[in-house]
Amino acid sequence: MLRLLDRLEEIIIASLIGLATLLIFVSVVHRFATGVPLLYPYARQIDLSWAQELCVFMFVWMAKFGAAYGVRTGIHVGVDVLVNRLSPGPRRWMVLFSLFCGALFTGAVGTLGANLVAKIYSTGQLSADIEAPMWIVYLAVPFGSYLMCFRFLQVAWVFHRTGELPHRDHMQVAGVTEAAP
Amino acid sequence: MNTLIIFCLLIALFLTGMPISIALGLTVLTFLFTLTHVPIEAVALKLFTGIERFEIMSIPFFILAGNFLTHGGVAKRMINFAASMIGHLHGGMGLAAVVACALFAAISGSSVATVVAIGSIMLPAMVEQGYPKRFGAGVIATSGALGILFPPSINLVIYAVATSGLSAIGPDGKAVASASIGQLFMAGVVPGVILATLLGLTTWYRAYRGNYPRLARASWAERFNAFRDSFWGLFLIVFVIGGIYSGVFTPTEAAACAAVYAFVVAVFVYGDLHFNDIPRVLLQSAAMSSMILYIVTNAVLFSFLMTSEQIPQAMAHWMGTQGLNWAVFLLLVNLLLLAAGNVMDPSAIVLIVAPILFPVAVALGINPIHFGILMAVNMEIGLCHPPVGLNLYVTSGITKMGISELTVAVLPWLATMLAFLVFVTYVPAISLWLPHLLGLSP
Repeated sequence: MLRLLDRLEEIIIASLIGLATLLIFVSVVHRFATGVPLLYPYARQIDLSWAQELCVFMFVWMAKFGAAYGVRTGIHVGVDVLVNRLSPGPRRWMVLFSLFCGALFTGAVGTLGANLVAKIYSTGQLSADIEAPMWIVYLAVPFGSYLMCFRFLQVAWVFHRTGELPHRDHMQVAGVTEAAP
Repeated sequence: MNTLIIFCLLIALFLTGMPISIALGLTVLTFLFTLTHVPIEAVALKLFTGIERFEIMSIPFFILAGNFLTHGGVAKRMINFAASMIGHLHGGMGLAAVVACALFAAISGSSVATVVAIGSIMLPAMVEQGYPKRFGAGVIATSGALGILFPPSINLVIYAVATSGLSAIGPDGKAVASASIGQLFMAGVVPGVILATLLGLTTWYRAYRGNYPRLARASWAERFNAFRDSFWGLFLIVFVIGGIYSGVFTPTEAAACAAVYAFVVAVFVYGDLHFNDIPRVLLQSAAMSSMILYIVTNAVLFSFLMTSEQIPQAMAHWMGTQGLNWAVFLLLVNLLLLAAGNVMDPSAIVLIVAPILFPVAVALGINPIHFGILMAVNMEIGLCHPPVGLNLYVTSGITKMGISELTVAVLPWLATMLAFLVFVTYVPAISLWLPHLLGLSP
């Protein structure tokens, strides 16, 4: 069940960034095509003026879920100079404290976001180009934040049990390790 | 008083080691719930609108483009090209490392990836040729940071995003527009080239004194082949700057097209990347961008708080009454940024500090473009500044040298960079000359 959520999270963010890239690329190509007389009659029939707005929405969703993924994989960096110099006892409390602060903040934001969504839902506001209901777009805030909150608690639980934190290894940046001949 | 509480709380939260974004957000929330009457709804809205602007979307696209090209053979191609051009001079491998780092960092947009990619190939090769290990480590650790000045630089995009839309009043009482991504990209080129040249000169001088080995002079045919091999990677830079400058597309569109271009080059032209690697590259880029976008969201909240508390204005006013001129101000800014660069991620520093200092800088008559480049140079130095520069850590991972030994190793290059920083700070023309020449800035 949890693994399914992990997998889903990964698929969502990876496909959102990929699709957004393609979308903007296609819209640029389309704009060029309208500039070419030969292609103009065909290109004119397709309207891609909504591409920018959709791209922004896609990235908002990607950012919110990606941030939750980042908690699980330890991408969010902090100032760890001081904490790493503490002896194991106090360090443990410090780490737990900061993880709970993370959970607290994301939980609070999720609740604020949920209220906002409820308020926008009642106004029935639509987005400028796509005319999608704005509340669906804003839904990313409570969803993403609660997911992040859950991830913080999950990381805190694992840390409490095993003393291990997700840690990003700088040596494996984007798979460059394969570069060594 | 409130200002003091805000900053004390923020610094205390930073020191617990929690993610920077969370520390920023918690500071704002605590402050709002206890000390002011700004409606909470306004904040909730900011949480969303913080990243709603289209120009911010260039960040994930540039990250994606860079990640496609950090794979496999691109680093090797850059090294071959650089070595064939200048390898025959004193300290040839070292000079080649500087140039390869500069090129690769520009394309990949990540200094860490540069140090790992170039370093893991160059360092063993240099040691084998008889260079001292320290020399190689010093060159790689410092040159790896060069990418911040060369377009497409994510750091410059972040500066443009962080300052855009801020109301800033110049000394003559007129509103001053913030620097655009296109202007900053152009402005970064000259300082980037000068800094790379200075690092190269330092390398050359040390190699000349130490009589380090040189490579055999490459024939023009070899040079041409190496150039042709690296051309597709290098063309990305031309593609992005040319496209933005000629107005063919906006920076965000340029970034998306660069990502598609990088994909095509990595998969079809170079063949370094297989189709099954693509989901992983996408996921890594998405995670990296989400992290930055999450800091952006919370930094927007934080700068909203700053603005509503009138802190930049108060600072500008205070500067005025103290009779501090721009020269003293920039000196203080440099010291602050160098200190911050030690402990924090460059993009986070720019996001937090730029919105606060930008209005002050403008009020003192400093050009927004010049200020952005100055911050970028500071961020570069922060990456390779002991005790905790990120590049030093990565280099120490590759070379298995201790941080204290590396500190000694990077000193000559670090001194060069600091000298260059003074130069950039007090000679605005270095940053402003090219954008001015191209008619991008008045």
